Amino acid sequence: MAETGKKGVLNEDWLAFWLAIILFLVSLLAYKGIDVFGWIVKTNEWIKLEKAIEPVSKAYKGVSGEITKIEGNKLTIKTKDGKEQTVTVDDPTKYQVGQTYEKKGLSGFASLVLTYIFLTVILAIGAYLLGLNVGRFVVGFFFVFWLSYLCWLIGHYAYFAATDPKKYNISWSLKLTGEGGFIFALALGLIIGNFFRPFAQFLSEACRPEFYVKTAIGLMGGILGLKSAEAFGLASTILFTGLCAMIVAYLIYWASIYYMARRYFKFSKEWAAPLAAGISICGVSAAIAMGGAIKARPVVPIMVASLVVIFAVVELIILPFLAQIFLWKEPMVAGAWMGLTVKTDGAAFAAGAITDALIRAKTEAVTGIKYEEGWILMAATTVKLFIDIFISIWAFLMAYIWCTYIECKPGEKTSAQEIWKRLPKFVLAYFIGFVVTLLISAPHAPKVKATEEQIKLMEKDIKKIEAQLATTQDPNLQAQLKGKIEEIKAQIKAKKEEIKDSKKIVEQTQTAAAGTNALRLIFFLITFFTIGVISDFRKLWAEGIGKLAVVYLVGLFGFIIWIGLLISWIFFHGVKPPVVGQ
Amino acid sequence: MAEEIKTEQIVEELEKMQYDPWLPFESKLVWGCLGLGIILLIILIWISYTFFPSSHG
Repeated sequence: MAETGKKGVLNEDWLAFWLAIILFLVSLLAYKGIDVFGWIVKTNEWIKLEKAIEPVSKAYKGVSGEITKIEGNKLTIKTKDGKEQTVTVDDPTKYQVGQTYEKKGLSGFASLVLTYIFLTVILAIGAYLLGLNVGRFVVGFFFVFWLSYLCWLIGHYAYFAATDPKKYNISWSLKLTGEGGFIFALALGLIIGNFFRPFAQFLSEACRPEFYVKTAIGLMGGILGLKSAEAFGLASTILFTGLCAMIVAYLIYWASIYYMARRYFKFSKEWAAPLAAGISICGVSAAIAMGGAIKARPVVPIMVASLVVIFAVVELIILPFLAQIFLWKEPMVAGAWMGLTVKTDGAAFAAGAITDALIRAKTEAVTGIKYEEGWILMAATTVKLFIDIFISIWAFLMAYIWCTYIECKPGEKTSAQEIWKRLPKFVLAYFIGFVVTLLISAPHAPKVKATEEQIKLMEKDIKKIEAQLATTQDPNLQAQLKGKIEEIKAQIKAKKEEIKDSKKIVEQTQTAAAGTNALRLIFFLITFFTIGVISDFRKLWAEGIGKLAVVYLVGLFGFIIWIGLLISWIFFHGVKPPVVGQ
Repeated sequence: MAEEIKTEQIVEELEKMQYDPWLPFESKLVWGCLGLGIILLIILIWISYTFFPSSHG
């Protein structure tokens, strides 16, 4: 973990926990009918810029068009572009079918500016708590936010993003999905970090990718809790794989790299143990925890971490594209593989997000199947989080083993308190969000999903009968078919009534999750940009560190990639994410 | 923060590293970890395929 708060009240880890948990708890006001974060900006695929940005929640968007249906206090509006939209009004008697309806909302640009202001304020408070120079942070964050968002916007341009170019009347597209914006943000960050060093230095106070990504992961718990309630079987498999990932990372990867570094590359124990932890478990946090456990000089794990971070970015640039080429038919294998192979939290979660986008895009382009967003990322994230959770216990065990059987340095002692001290706290925000949302939605989401699927089938039946009705002239058959239609309509009505309360809870959960998810995407986005800015690739070809690089490369290509792939394959081959609209 | 470390410092520290003999206990540690890891993995895979067969494609 990056312990950067030198004079601050909190370190980055705790700050990420508090920020994520506060935003999550505030979002729960959705259950009281308050859509707190509905005004956060959402970016759409676009060909005309004015359609690119809007608030995330319908409640904040403007609507205008002709009223086509009034049901209770819900009006169906046909907008100018021919799409139908439902709005809820207090007094439906004021309206009539055929009338024009208009509601002014928040413009996309206003929503974007508000999002920027909101993030600047909460992060400036965060910077203060970390003990940073708040003025420098705010100035740096201005560039970090707007440059990242520019990449995000470009990434959503239909020529880059659209998986179905025909939808935008264009002849081609790179089919990257909107998440291609992450790749643009990373690329711009790398250009700045490697070719515009003074500017990168100027931004440094606001370049805190580990903090941003930990906050993003903390915020992700809520949305994943809802997804898991809808597809519990798949979610439990992912959690189970997390257990295996811990065994692989700590017992197999670590032991193999430690052996290789000591026996073949002649590293001392002081170097080999943190190096093995950095390469096999997690670049920064594990190397530092392991260094502490064996009482290495503090400079050693920090040096190891500084290099592993750079290598992890190289993995992030290469592996998702390999996954898209070779594993697009096995999306969940690819996700888990990212979590098991890419080191450092930031790079692993980022690789999961890119893999999610690339594989969904390719599958849709080749087969027409549209997977639900986020499942591939969930596999990567869960696997990595399980690995992270165990760092503290591993460090505790290693401290005990080192002191008892290898070498005990003066002042060295092991205590249970160390476990808590080393536990990554941001993970708690993720789990609280996950468990709370799962507990709220688990009794309702599966019921609503199943019933809505039944209703869809019934509506299809109605259409078939209506088609039959249009072709028949026999009055008896016509009466029989009409009766059947009425009967099915009554069944649909009864089913809708049956799930009314559950649907309300699911919708409120979706509202709560949508706002935090929009914030999560922005935190992810600035993570990509800032990872790029702080990655100085000159370290990779500097003379004298070749030995470290070779250990990493042999470890990575010799077994980490293959063992990670094997384990992911064993658990996930043939498993697909849920398909949109099914 | 990790990125504040200069490359020259890493090179210097690496050059200063002294020979550190391999201890018998390190063999036990490495092979113990690998053996335990493989056994636990086999057990988890068996549990997964036996008790959650539907989750495997």
